This record gives sequence, C-alpha cells and structure tokens, in this order.
Amino acid sequence: MQLHPRFFGQNLRENLVSKLIKDVEGTISGRHGFVSAVTGIESIGKGLIRDGTPFVTFPVKYRCVVFRPFEGEVLEAVVTRVFPNKCCYSTDYFAEAGPLKIFVSNHCIPDDMEYQTGDMPNYTKSDGSVRIQKDCEVRLKIFGFSIDATEISCVGSIKERFLGLITDPGAVA
Amino acid sequence: MSGEEEENAAELKIGEEFLKAKCLMNCEVSLILEHKYEQLQQVSEDPMNQVSQVFEKSLQYVKRFSRYKNPDAVRQVREILSRHQLTEFELCVLGNLCPETAEEAVAMVPSLKVKGQIAIVMSCGLLRYDLVLLTFFFPSSLAL
Repeated sequence: MQLHPRFFGQNLRENLVSKLIKDVEGTISGRHGFVSAVTGIESIGKGLIRDGTPFVTFPVKYRCVVFRPFEGEVLEAVVTRVFPNKCCYSTDYFAEAGPLKIFVSNHCIPDDMEYQTGDMPNYTKSDGSVRIQKDCEVRLKIFGFSIDATEISCVGSIKERFLGLITDPGAVA
Repeated sequence: MSGEEEENAAELKIGEEFLKAKCLMNCEVSLILEHKYEQLQQVSEDPMNQVSQVFEKSLQYVKRFSRYKNPDAVRQVREILSRHQLTEFELCVLGNLCPETAEEAVAMVPSLKVKGQIAIVMSCGLLRYDLVLLTFFFPSSLAL
C-alpha cells in the first residue's frame, strides 16, 4: 500500500488499514474473484520511500473473504430477469448469486419448460407444477465464466437432475 | 479464466491455492459479514454508504441462502461435516446445498463418487433449524 506523508503520525496504522479496505474491498482479482470483505491484517512491513516522491510503500499482508465461481460448480441464485429467446445466442434469463451475474440460455432449460409472457414473464413446466420467474430461487450449475475489471459473469444451466427451482430448503423441482 | 490445467469443480480441479484455502459456507460468511456490518454501524450513522456494492450484494446473498442462522448450529454443521474425508470445497458445497439423498449429493459434488466408502451424516434435533438425518454408504463398485 502506498501512503502520502500527510497520513503519517500517531494514526499511521489506522490510516494504512482504512486505505487498504477502501482500495481493495469490492474489487475484482483475476485469480481470486470478488474481494467481498477484508477480515484481518496479518502484518505490515517496513515502509520504503519511493524514489523521487514523498510516498512510502508498505507491504501489507491481510486476510479477506473472496468469492469466485468454478467451472462445474453447483450453487443457488436468485432470478432477476426472464425474457424469450430471440436468436441462437441470446440469453434467456439472468440470475444473480450476490455480485455474480449468471446467464441461462433456453438451451440450458429443461425441454418441458416453456416461456410464458405477461406481467410476470416466466418459464413454466408443461404440467404446470413448476414456474420460474423473477425473484425465484434456483439451483444451477456453472458452465463457464469470464472475469474483467468490473464484473464476473457466468453461463449456467438448470437442465440436469436436481437443478432448477428451489421450492423449499433442500427440495428442487 | 484458465490456468495451466483446465478447471473443473466436478473433478476437484480448482487449483492448488483453492484446494488448500479455507472455504466458507454461506452461513459462515453471513456471520462474518454481519459482524463487520454491525461494527460499521457503531461508528457510522449510514453504514451502507461505507461499504462496496460487492459487500452489500454478498451480504444479501449469504443471508438469503444460509441454511443455518444460529452460530452454534453453524459450528456444529462444520464440525459434523469435518468428521469425514472431505476437502474444504466439498464440505462447503454440501453445507450450502444440503442434499437429501446420496444420489443428490453425488450430483452436486461428483468428486464424492470416487472416494469409495464414505459416510455423510447431517444430524437433526440438536440444531434449531431442520436438517435431515442422513447416513449412506457408497460401495466402491456402485456405478453412479
């Protein structure tokens, strides 16, 4: 962490930790995914003055909670949008697992589920027993993801067994 | 994102770093983030303004998808799952999804089926929220 001399003094450590939290929490690491929260500082090393500047760089070791998807992972998410397929590669609903965005194409939805238009667009099973719409909780499998500086987005599927709508804890459609 | 070896959670190919790291279940993350949020509430009138959108969304998510809210229950779940030869990743997926049958457990965590004889028990009664008493064995010859 780099600190300007105006932050030196009695509160140096506090200022360093605040800056760390401000700079790191909420960011995305290519390797570790979302940095949700810094949970502790392991060590702060000796500061080194950067040549030609008044800034001092401190090596800081810290612990944090990170969140990233893995290919083939099964997790639960909330449906945020449902809309019909308009072309081969369009995605048909959006779900979110916290800050993670998940796109589910209609190719990854069971064949016996059909899109229904209306005030609350949804996917309904042919026998009417299952309906997936906005704000429903679903269990899905991740099939690929991409990480950039501002977001992590994944492609998911509910086509396999034990995936799909969660009607109550432990039960799936 | 690809590393040197292609990642695949079904085969526990998640990278050395993540295999060794401490994985947390949603209920454990919920306790951590709620505690942090409470600390912020003590020093600020508007703690939501102090936290990142990632923190806020993560907190909402883990609160919504935590099977167990009571800290003692959370500790017990980890303790029970830790008695079996599971990696951190497998333990957390099971703790998050709470499969009811052996078949469902293997569908959620395919790496379990290569472990041969294993017993997974989730006990009820001692814990405030409904857990299923579940004991099953995987004969190594059973094709799943």
